[in-house]
Amino acid sequence: MGKKIVAFCCENSSYKAAAAVSDADVLDAVEIVRLPCSGKIEIGLVLKCLEDGHAGVLVLGCPVDNCKYLHGNTRAKKRVQRAQSLLEEAGIPRQLVHIDFISSVDSHKFVEIVREMKERIAEAQAAGGVAGE
Amino acid sequence: MKAESNLERILEAGEFAVTAELGPPKSADVQVVEKKAGFLKGMVDAVNITDNQTAIVRMSSIAAGALAMREGLEPVIQITCRDRNRIAIQSDVLGAYALGMRNILCLTGDHQSFGNHQTSKNVYDMDSVQLIQTLRSMRDDKVFLCGDEIRNGKKAPIVEPRIYIGAAANPFGDPFEFRVIRLAKKANAGVDFIQTQCIYDMERFEKWMEQVRERGLHKKVKILAGLTPLKSAGMARYMRDSVAGLTVPDWYIERIGKAEDKAAEGIRMCVEQIERIRSIEGVAGIHLMAIEWEHRVAEIVKEAGLLPRPVV
Amino acid sequence: MVRDVKKLLILGCGTCVTVCMAGGEKEVGILASTLRLTNRRNNISMEIMEDTIERQCDREFFDAVADKVREADAVLSLACGVGVQFGGEVFEGKRFLPGLNTSFYGANESVGVWSERCAGCGNCVLDKFGGLCPITRCSKSLLNGPCGGSQNGMCEVDPENIECGWQLIYDRMKALGLLHKLEENEPVKDWSTSRDGGPRKIIREDMVQ
Repeated sequence: MGKKIVAFCCENSSYKAAAAVSDADVLDAVEIVRLPCSGKIEIGLVLKCLEDGHAGVLVLGCPVDNCKYLHGNTRAKKRVQRAQSLLEEAGIPRQLVHIDFISSVDSHKFVEIVREMKERIAEAQAAGGVAGE
Repeated sequence: MKAESNLERILEAGEFAVTAELGPPKSADVQVVEKKAGFLKGMVDAVNITDNQTAIVRMSSIAAGALAMREGLEPVIQITCRDRNRIAIQSDVLGAYALGMRNILCLTGDHQSFGNHQTSKNVYDMDSVQLIQTLRSMRDDKVFLCGDEIRNGKKAPIVEPRIYIGAAANPFGDPFEFRVIRLAKKANAGVDFIQTQCIYDMERFEKWMEQVRERGLHKKVKILAGLTPLKSAGMARYMRDSVAGLTVPDWYIERIGKAEDKAAEGIRMCVEQIERIRSIEGVAGIHLMAIEWEHRVAEIVKEAGLLPRPVV
Repeated sequence: MVRDVKKLLILGCGTCVTVCMAGGEKEVGILASTLRLTNRRNNISMEIMEDTIERQCDREFFDAVADKVREADAVLSLACGVGVQFGGEVFEGKRFLPGLNTSFYGANESVGVWSERCAGCGNCVLDKFGGLCPITRCSKSLLNGPCGGSQNGMCEVDPENIECGWQLIYDRMKALGLLHKLEENEPVKDWSTSRDGGPRKIIREDMVQ
């Protein structure tokens, strides 16, 4: 399949949630990248991950209205949406990029999100539209 | 007299003038013009021939005007600034005059985005005020915009187009306070007569006329109040919601909605409007825009007591 | 447009298009990634190089990428239409393709929003209209506006999005105490100084070498 799912995690929320996860399958499936805020995500970076052969990209920020920097998570959402539109234009399934919002204690949600992401990617592969090398 | 047109004579004689509108066909069908002309002959003093109204391609105003003249009507040719530059416009004015046309209405013109050729380039080489000025220079100074005399050669006679110049005014557009100033600008540019956008909000029109009288503009230019009879509540709503620069008070829509014979009610309301307008000081006549309803114009004019039309 | 290009250079520009977030280094990266992803999807083999120079309207900035340009079969320039053309002049015979649809001279109203302000008519009348351009801000470029389609300060062409330029001029002139100036009739414009007169050229004699 290629490289792991990249999970861009906000250090104020999802990064902490991920740190408390012990499920080996889930941890093996992702490469975690720590961000000071989900709003730091760049469209170009998301696309680059897929270009370099990563299976998918997750962006996990703080819940709405709870961003430490006020609007970072809203910005992250808009950037992910833009990246997804560009993927669609390129003929790549948009579900290879996913954004979600969890708090620092939501370790179980982190696990759920990764599992769902793996399924989504598997579906996309089966349908024949994956960006892997 | 500036142009000796029938419309000019009627207005100068102080008679209450009546003009109507004829929309040329969206094809080369001469019969459409002949039929519409037939409905209007003898009912009005002059007939506006629209110029690609709402930017939808129709037979040209001058061509349809020539056909209308053949049927015994006096046309008011319309020229918009949207489709022609100063060269084409001055050329058309010479042509219209040569064909016997004597009234020209100067308009800015609806933007092409309203019509059926939205991807076209627009011209707007000049605006309506400058267009009025151009026609006045051609008529009174006998020169083109560039300053050349209107003669075919140094030894040829000057043959200038002697046109009765008209323009439109919208008492309902914004900014309200500026509307009368814009009319003053047109008066200064040399306009002879004005036709307003169709009136439903009588109060606002009366307020506008007050401002017009304050500036003495009703004495400088002849003002014809625009009216469009409503055929149905649907039409009333359409006018209110989709036509730029128009307001329709709710009671019109209610009244026509309640009526059994909507068309007849619409005509009745139009006649009532005419009666009210005749009482407003400074209004020199009416301009009936019975779009695609030309065959009912006779009825309206008759019921309003405006027949027979005076011969001056 | 670039389907048959074997070696493509995507060239960004660091000035106007960077500022309006259309063709700078970031946008070059995004476009390059997207293009590589779609090429992979469609089995198109294409080598894509990326670079960005300060400007593509001044000859000297192309020096830094001269090698890459020569190596490439074609250059997809994300500069404005000027840069796309000028690149083709600087590198004679090299195909420069437009990556953007250059639209207007405008201002950055707020983050992410740009709107048109100047038409480059060559004969500025901003002093007469309170600093607002009737050529650009009025959909019909009227000099004696407004037309009858101005309602609630909006333009009939798009009442949701386009402000009536003449309402703006009226408000500004009123605020400046200059409303009486608008009562004077503005004569027809001399369009020969604008694009209508033909492609234009300006020379500073004191600067020419």
